[in-house]
Amino acid sequence: MARIEDIPQPTRDAVLSVPCPQYDTTPFVPGKPLRERRIAILSSAALVRRGDKPFPFGSGECRFLPAGLDTADLLVSHVSINFDRAGFQRDVNVVYPIDRLRELAAQGAIGGVADTHYTVMGSTDPAAMGDSVAQIAGQLRQERIDSVLLSPV
Amino acid sequence: MLEEAGFSTVVLASVRAQAEKVRPPRALWTSAVLGRPVGEPDDPAFQHRVLRAALALLERPDGPVILEDFPEDPPGLRDTPGWQPPPVPAWSPEQSPAGWAAAVATELKALRPAWEAARHHRGRTSVGLSFQPPEAWPDFLRGALSGELASVPPLETPALAQRFLCDDIKAYYGEAAQAASPAPSHRQLDGWFWRQTAAGAALIALRDVALASNNSALRTVGGRFFVPVPWLPSPV
Repeated sequence: MARIEDIPQPTRDAVLSVPCPQYDTTPFVPGKPLRERRIAILSSAALVRRGDKPFPFGSGECRFLPAGLDTADLLVSHVSINFDRAGFQRDVNVVYPIDRLRELAAQGAIGGVADTHYTVMGSTDPAAMGDSVAQIAGQLRQERIDSVLLSPV
Repeated sequence: MLEEAGFSTVVLASVRAQAEKVRPPRALWTSAVLGRPVGEPDDPAFQHRVLRAALALLERPDGPVILEDFPEDPPGLRDTPGWQPPPVPAWSPEQSPAGWAAAVATELKALRPAWEAARHHRGRTSVGLSFQPPEAWPDFLRGALSGELASVPPLETPALAQRFLCDDIKAYYGEAAQAASPAPSHRQLDGWFWRQTAAGAALIALRDVALASNNSALRTVGGRFFVPVPWLPSPV
């Protein structure tokens, strides 16, 4: 749906009127061939492990998702109810494509998959996420990961 | 922000107009339903094509600000012809709190085999945010519809307890309705839940109770996060 005409009203107007951050700079980091890159996922679905507390509404926190985490235990705790959950109910990979990345790595399309992935709460002011960005960047550097797939719901 | 910190990023953009405003370094727009950034559930080949197209942008030298369109619609974007929802017992739209609780309990029981089948088939369930088992939902719902302000540890407030109960009920029904193939489109599923089930009607009633509550958090959460806006009843 993300053809705009496919989004039912009044959600369509709400989506189009969401304040979008504007940036003064347009950074662009080139890198190695894809076959040599290990990829990390950053999901905005506020994913939590079963039994963990959901993300607080409006939270700028991030949580780490170890690559070995059993995806059967992942739940979506995002505050918004105006996006589909049924796809996730059937297949975690429509939100958090960890299995697909592993397969692409096995096929040689990418160099590998990071040991840690990340999740935050979407619908949150990016200005509240400075500490989270620093935490994610620190872990990426520690794992020598240079490329991130952003998967916003 | 991550690109500023020295990392290459690519985003699966669901709303093209937002990507045009934010101007991330690299974005792949897809026509997938909001909430399904990688496209089609249970279709690894489609998901691979989306991911290959997105990740290929990492090798492009012609940035910053690359915005490409993924050319395929997910196969499940449109309604599934002939889809039939799982049968649920008849229910009355005029209910007391206890009546709603009983109607929902009856539906949960009727849908349980399909929900269990889905859980077994997929090896997982996305039910779990409410910290209550399905057997406890009807009585909690009865209390909430009666204006009781119960919380369920570790959810600290009645607002959160009710909000995540709504999420779990929707997840249970969604999984039950998608247990058999072919699965419904998201529109068919939502239409069934919000217009044909007692649970959907009970959650709309719960929203009304929340909006009339003295608890300001419950008013806010109930008003915004119990029922998706497109499924609110039309004003009379």
